[in-house]
This record gives sequence, C-alpha cells and structure tokens, in this order.
Amino acid sequence: MLKILTCFKWVVDEADIRIDAGSRRLILDRVSYKINPYDRNGVEEAMHLQELHGAAVAAVTVAPPTAKSCLKDVLSRGPDKAYFINDPSFTDLEPSQTGAVLAAAIHGDIEFDLIICGEGSSDLYTQQVGPVLAEKLGISCATYVNKLTYIENENRIVAERKLDDGIEAVSIPLPALITVLPDINTPRIPSLKQVLGAAKKPVENITLDKLGQSFDPCLQTIGVLGSTMERRHLKFGAQPEEIGSLISALLKDGVIA
Amino acid sequence: MAEEKFTAIVVGAGPAGSTAAYVLAKGGHDVVLVERGTAPGSKNMYGGRMYSHALSRIMPGFWEEAPVERPIAQESITFLNGGQSVSINCRNMSWAADPYHSFTLLRAEFDAWLASKAEEAGALLACGIRVDELLMDGGKVIGIRAGEDEMLADVVVAADGVNSLLAQKAGWAKMFAPNQVATGVKQIIELPAETISQRFQLEGNNGAALLFVGDCSNGMQGGGFLYTNKSSISLGLVINVGELQRCQVKLCDIMEDFKSNPHIAPLIEGGEVAEYSAHLVPEAGLAMTPQLYGDGMLVAGDAAGFVLNLGYTVRGMDFAIASGEAAARTVIEAKARNDFSRRGLSRYVDLLNQSFVLRDLEAYRKAPEFLENERMFKAYPKLVTELASKLFTVDGAPPVHLMKMVLDRIKQSSISLIQLARDGWKGARNL
Amino acid sequence: MAGILVFAETREHTLELLNAGVNLARDLGTKLVSFALSNEFAREYISHGADEVLVLQPLAQDQPLESYVPVLAQVVREEDPDVFLVGATQRGKEIGARLASQLNTGLCSGCIGFEVDKEKNLLRMERLLFCGLAVQKVICTTRPQMAAISPRVFDPAPLVEGREGKVREISAMPFSPVTVISRTARAHEAVDITEAKIIVCVGRGFEKKEDVKLARDLADVLGGEVGCSRPIAEELRWLPEDVYMGISGKKVKPDLYIGVGVSGQIQHVTGIRDSKIIFAINRDESAPIFEAADYGIVGDLYQVVPILIEELKKALNK
Repeated sequence: MLKILTCFKWVVDEADIRIDAGSRRLILDRVSYKINPYDRNGVEEAMHLQELHGAAVAAVTVAPPTAKSCLKDVLSRGPDKAYFINDPSFTDLEPSQTGAVLAAAIHGDIEFDLIICGEGSSDLYTQQVGPVLAEKLGISCATYVNKLTYIENENRIVAERKLDDGIEAVSIPLPALITVLPDINTPRIPSLKQVLGAAKKPVENITLDKLGQSFDPCLQTIGVLGSTMERRHLKFGAQPEEIGSLISALLKDGVIA
Repeated sequence: MAEEKFTAIVVGAGPAGSTAAYVLAKGGHDVVLVERGTAPGSKNMYGGRMYSHALSRIMPGFWEEAPVERPIAQESITFLNGGQSVSINCRNMSWAADPYHSFTLLRAEFDAWLASKAEEAGALLACGIRVDELLMDGGKVIGIRAGEDEMLADVVVAADGVNSLLAQKAGWAKMFAPNQVATGVKQIIELPAETISQRFQLEGNNGAALLFVGDCSNGMQGGGFLYTNKSSISLGLVINVGELQRCQVKLCDIMEDFKSNPHIAPLIEGGEVAEYSAHLVPEAGLAMTPQLYGDGMLVAGDAAGFVLNLGYTVRGMDFAIASGEAAARTVIEAKARNDFSRRGLSRYVDLLNQSFVLRDLEAYRKAPEFLENERMFKAYPKLVTELASKLFTVDGAPPVHLMKMVLDRIKQSSISLIQLARDGWKGARNL
Repeated sequence: MAGILVFAETREHTLELLNAGVNLARDLGTKLVSFALSNEFAREYISHGADEVLVLQPLAQDQPLESYVPVLAQVVREEDPDVFLVGATQRGKEIGARLASQLNTGLCSGCIGFEVDKEKNLLRMERLLFCGLAVQKVICTTRPQMAAISPRVFDPAPLVEGREGKVREISAMPFSPVTVISRTARAHEAVDITEAKIIVCVGRGFEKKEDVKLARDLADVLGGEVGCSRPIAEELRWLPEDVYMGISGKKVKPDLYIGVGVSGQIQHVTGIRDSKIIFAINRDESAPIFEAADYGIVGDLYQVVPILIEELKKALNK
C-alpha cells in the first residue's frame, strides 16, 4: 500500500496582523492561526490518492507545543494519523531548519513512498522546505506540480509541473517528494462527522531530544518592517456629479487624457 | 461513524450553547456542540459587559481562569444634549471585589474559553460546521443535518443566536417586526491601560460602564454605551431597526457623529480603532420569544429572545448562560425519565421561571413598550441637561427658587406636567 | 577562493543577475562568475560584466534543468564563492533550495534587493513576509550567502565594450533520476499587462463572466487594459492567467489602477502597490482595498461603472 506523508504548517492568519503606524512594527497580539492554505491542497491531494489507490496518509508538522489545535484541524481533512514534531524552540524557524527537523524525524523512523508539501507557506513563502527536505532525505523531487498521477505497478509518479515557460511533465521513481500548486485541487470543507472523527485519530508526539541533534539557522533576521503605502483615501459618492469630480481629479493627476 | 445517538446536540457555541454543553458533559452525558464559525465567539458580538451572577452559579470563581478584562466599579448614565450633558455616576467598591458584580470581556477570547471548558468536561466541539436542517420524525425533532452528515440526538438545543434558523425550521419562531429588534454597532478603540484608568479615574484594573441617552441616537429609540476593557474601549450604539428604517439614516454616520460628540471625543482621544462590528439585538422581550420547547428541542439564549434592555442595564449574556443551564438540567431530568416529548421537556419553563430568566422578563414586560416613548430620547435629555445647566449657572440673573426653576423649564420644554408625571409614574413602575 | 557566482535559466535573467553582481563584486573586491547553459552566451556574459563564465554540459532531451544541481554544488565546493545569486524562476527556486541544502547554507528566497556591508563582506538582503504585508531584512551567517532573485527585479547589465574574461567548460555531467516526458509551451497572451499605463481590474464583485465586458468597456474608454485578481483567473477562469496581478502573479506599475469589485487582500495589493494612482469601486465600505486607495467609491459596480463610463466619455470628448 502506498504510504504518503503530507507536511503542513500552522501559520499566522495575515488578515489579523496590524502594523503600528509610527514604528511600522508588526503587531501580532490577537492573531489567530490557520493551516497554511497551500498545505490544504497538499493534504487534499494525499486524500485523493488514498481514494484512488488506497494509500495510508499521515500528516506531519513542525511546531511549538502551543500549536496543538492544528492537529484536530488537519485530521478533520482526512489523514489517518498525525505526527506532531514539537518543541518550544520551534517558532520562527527558517526553511533550512524545518527541513532538517523533518528529515531527522522521518529518516529511518517513518516509512513513506511519497511526501507531499504545499509550494510554500502563506507567512514566509520561501518555497524551500519541500526541496530542502528531499535533499536531506536523498530522494527525488518535483516542484510546482498541478497534476499528479501514480503509476501503481511501476512504483513511480508522473507529475505535471506548471513552470514559467509552460507545462513540464516528469516521471519520478518513488520514494519522492512533490510540492503542489493551489490549482491542483479544491480542498474539501470538513464535514461534521469528519470534524468529530478527528479527535479520535492517533497523534504521535516527537520531541526534540528524540531527534538527538540541534538545528541551527543559517539566516538571521535583522529587521522586520510593516509595508506602508501613502495613499490619499479620498471618498466620492456614486452620483454623476461626484463621479465627475473624481474624473477631474484624475485629469489633474495626469493619469488619464 | 455508526448511527450513534447523542443525548444532546447543542447548536451554537456562544454563552448559551457552551453553558448547556458544559452542564450536560459535567453530568456525564454525551453531547455535541456545533459551531458555525471557525472558532466559538468569532460570530458573536455584544456591548461589552457580562453580569457575573449567572456564571458564578455554575462555575464559582470563574474569573480566576476566564479571560475577563476589567471588573466594573463605576456605572453611569449620561444625558446628552448638544453642548450640555448630565451624568449620574455611581461607584461601589464592592462591585470590584469578590464576588465580582460584572466584568467587561472580549467575546472572541471569552466564548472560546467557555467552549473549551465544555470540551474539557467531555463535550465534543465541532467548529466551522453550519447546521442546515432539523431531522424530524413526525412532529418530533430527532437530530440535525449539517451538509451531508446527519446526526441523531434525544434533544436538540437551539442556541444559534438572534434570528434562529432552527426555531424557524421548527416553525416556532415568530416573524419579528423591525421595531422588535435593534442594531448594535461597536468599535474597539485601543488605548494604553494607564490612560484608561486615569481618564476614567479608576483604581488598578477596575473598570467603568457608561450608558448614554439623547443626542447619540439622533432622537431615535436607542442609546450609546462605553465599556472599559484592559487596554481598549468598547464604544457603540444600539438603535431600534424600525426607527432606523423610518428615519432613513446610515448607522455608520451616526456612529461617527457619536465619536466626535464633544462629550465623547475626549474619552477616546488618541485611541486607534482596532475592530468594527455590528449585530442584531432582540429588543421586544416576551413579545417576541418563540415557542421555547417542544418534542425533542429546546431554545436558549438570543435564539429565544432572552435579552433585557432597561436602558439603565442591558443584559444578554447572563440570560444566555442561565437559559443554557436550564436547558441542560431539563435534558438531564428528561433523560432520567426517558421522556423527551414536549411534556417531558416542559420542565424548561419551570426552571426558567425559577431562575431570573423568565421571572425578570415577565417583571419588565412593559419596559420595551415604555422605552418606545420618543420623549425619552430627545425631550427628557434636553429637559434634564437644561435644568442642570440652569441650576449651576451663576451669571447675575435674578434668583429663582428650585421649584419655579423646574416648573419653568418644564413649561418651556412643551411637555405638559401631566405627561411628565405620567411618564415618570410609568417609568418608575415598568423599568 | 571567493567570488560572486550567478546562475539563471535564461539569457535575459542572467544579464539581470550580472547587473546585480557587478557592483557587488566591485564592493567586495572579488570576481564575478556566471554559469552559462551554452557556449553561445559566454562572450555576451563577459561583455555584460562577467569576469569568468563557466559553461555547463548540455542537457539531454529528457533531463530537467534541476539535473544541474549536483554539478553546481560541486563547482561551489571547488570555487568557494562568497555569494551565489540564483535566478528565481520556478526551476531556479527549486535549484536554489536544493543547493542551499546540499551546501548547508542559507538561501534568501524572493530577494527583492540587498545592501552590502563591505567590512564584513556581508549582504543585507530584503524579502517580503506575509504576502507583502512586511519586509524582512536578513543576513546569512554561512557561506556562500545565497539569494534567489526573481526576473525583472534588476535591469539587464549594460554592455561594456572590449571587456575581457575567461571562459571555462565544466565537464561534470548533469544528472537526475527525474525524467522529462514532455514540455508544452504556454500560450502567451497578446497583452503584456505589466506594460499597460491604465489597468481596470476585475474582482470577485462581478457576478458572471459576461459582466467582464463592463470592465472592458471602461478600459476601452480610457485606452487601458483589463486585468484581474487571482481567483478570477485561476479559479473562475474568466480571464487568462497572464493578466492576474498579485504576489504570485504580475507586479504592475501603471499610472492608474481601477479595482472594480476587488476586495483588496494583501496578496493582490502587493502586486499593484507601485501604481501611481489607485482608484477602487466596491460596495463594501470596509473592504481593505479602500485602505490602499487614493480614490474610492462605495457603491454597486453595476451602477457606478456605467455612470463612470458616461462621464468619462463626456470629459474626454469621446
């Protein structure tokens, strides 16, 4: 039976982030968290393969212990079990660290044929963890996949990658890793029974000392500043006269003629 | 999942639903708590203050654990009339000590906490799920359908808020007229905690609750409110929907006017708006409560119209919590007798009558009608403020004794003495 | 050994990275070295600033570009550059990430610019966070310092007559267990929305595909082009992918951007933030687009746009 690992990240909902006008500091006080939207597509693709080929699907994440609620969320989307690789120090990790932690936890301990990741995460969007993990595990990878087919009797996958110059269809022997694009599928909305069922699925905790190594970053953040835009915020009514005034303003700005 | 049947499915993880689920779970019963929003409280909004008594009964000392903002030590009512205002402030230090009388709190945090207590007690919480239909067998409610999933239960507790879908589906809801509901709008305005404490002259983490009547509602039935949270202020208006439609005004415009009102602006000076929300509020009390119980279902909280607005107090959360508790106890007793019929669930009304819920709504039955009196929102604030202004003004004008001052003002206000007396009598008896 | 190393998938992109690298090489007092996918570009790269060009072995038909990863890694281990700039096309991003992993170094992906600390031989690189809500500055404490730079972040390097440089062939064979079965070129739209001076953007407020005509009519009166937000192209497919603007789509800098029924989420705004004037029409007054707009009309686009077109015709004498 095909064994699939689907990696996901619990990210800050960027809609809740506010920027302090004076210092341009990001205010993360009352942010809520969500499954990285790109990973929802990854999980859905894994479930699609389960439905077609009868695969075993496990979800994997690297997170601080406080992110526990991510497990119910991901399990309500279909995976049979979840691996929660957690440690208080696992916050603001850079992709080289995340990839290394995942590799350390998976290598030799968790069996897999295929690893599915989202193309990137909505917070950092480095688009690195997938390829980094593949390198560390010594397996092939294909990124930016928007169509996936598993060739059962040949133990390989055919992936269509959507690249800048067109579609590149590649054949990859398993074990392999792919990163998927949002247009590969439409993630299901968990139903009531799926949400309730999530609480019953097994979760395996993997802690830092089990991994037996440290994970040092290569990059160092020396500053984060909220983007600001100086805009006039002028409002006009919807009546013809007001619209006329708006047009006059645009003419004066020299942007229409 | 096999066709398992739960003792109860509680729809809506607001204060009513979470309390019902908590009490049921604590009693060892299997209960599912279903919430439409991605997290409990995400779709909820209220003025800003909860009276503690209802929750204290169920969770004594809840404030040790619950995410509350400030205990209210100061209550006030302010009459607004142009450049004049009259405030009646009342402080009571015992309100801000154990057992705390009331707290300001933020619903997203609080509702999530209350639902988590239900989960801790053993309730199964499912968020992001919208209940679409009731499952019926003959005239009896036997469960719910959400999307493609059906779930059976001995009792469904409809705690799904004002405009309850389930009460409508069961055919129990009364269509309400626009003047039976109000729209509440609110802004959360951030200010440093020390600024708030200083501005409102509060000790430590104590809080203030301010109600406003007069200009803020532009002559329409309604009023304004201000509650102090730890480091923000909840500022808003509650205006009758029928009135809004009649006067054709945009609520956001009146809200902006309220914020720039000379008596309000200094209170929120320097603050930054962090959130803007609006919600419907049931106003008509008993006149608009739906059928509360029937074969296989109970209705609690805002869904049951359990809100009491007397002008000087506005209560919703304590009613919701108490009715949730009553619903849970009703189900537990019905389970013991295995009778979930309308008759078996009729205990609900008895429990509501014994607690303050129906008792208070009944006692103040005439209040909503009284508060439709338009003089309350323009003429009387004007009278009170002008009278007080005259009282405190020393400008060399000829002396006037109090009695004449009052009668003169009343004559000028074109309110007849009889009308005033009648209003006063009615108000004193009904509010 | 030091040096600035540059790799990109196309000739144009390589010229842009050479531009990024030329001043860097001068500031760090080191050489600028570029990979070339074919000998035919070697001379050109040298004329545009490379001190050295390393020509890679050609790929077999069924080898993906990423087959170069082991070759590039080996060259880096031999050359030990201070900095390695990778062209961030989709393939380039995979290559960069895998190289960084093999070399145990850090990669600043989506690098939108950098400054040089000459004393410490350090790059201070900038990239976007939270879909463009914030800008992050990072340094890389390991070597080589790697940055992945998207196309058109830098202009192509200028031609410098008479430049001399070394051209060297890298003999290592590219390899990958991944085989390419087919390549299908994408159809390019006639319109390059990044060149348009006036853009009318179709958002979710439009109810059906036929209504896009309203946006076209508005664009026609103004002599502009029609673009859209991501869902219109990727999910609804009402417009081609070439014209959606946003963090993962096109970045545009028109004189005038008109968002019609566009909510203004950060993912979209990041793509249009350099517009000279932003004008939004949306019926929801709390839509985030109004925070990003110079001019706004709160109203139903089906009523506002026809009036706007009429008034424009009058004002522009059309």
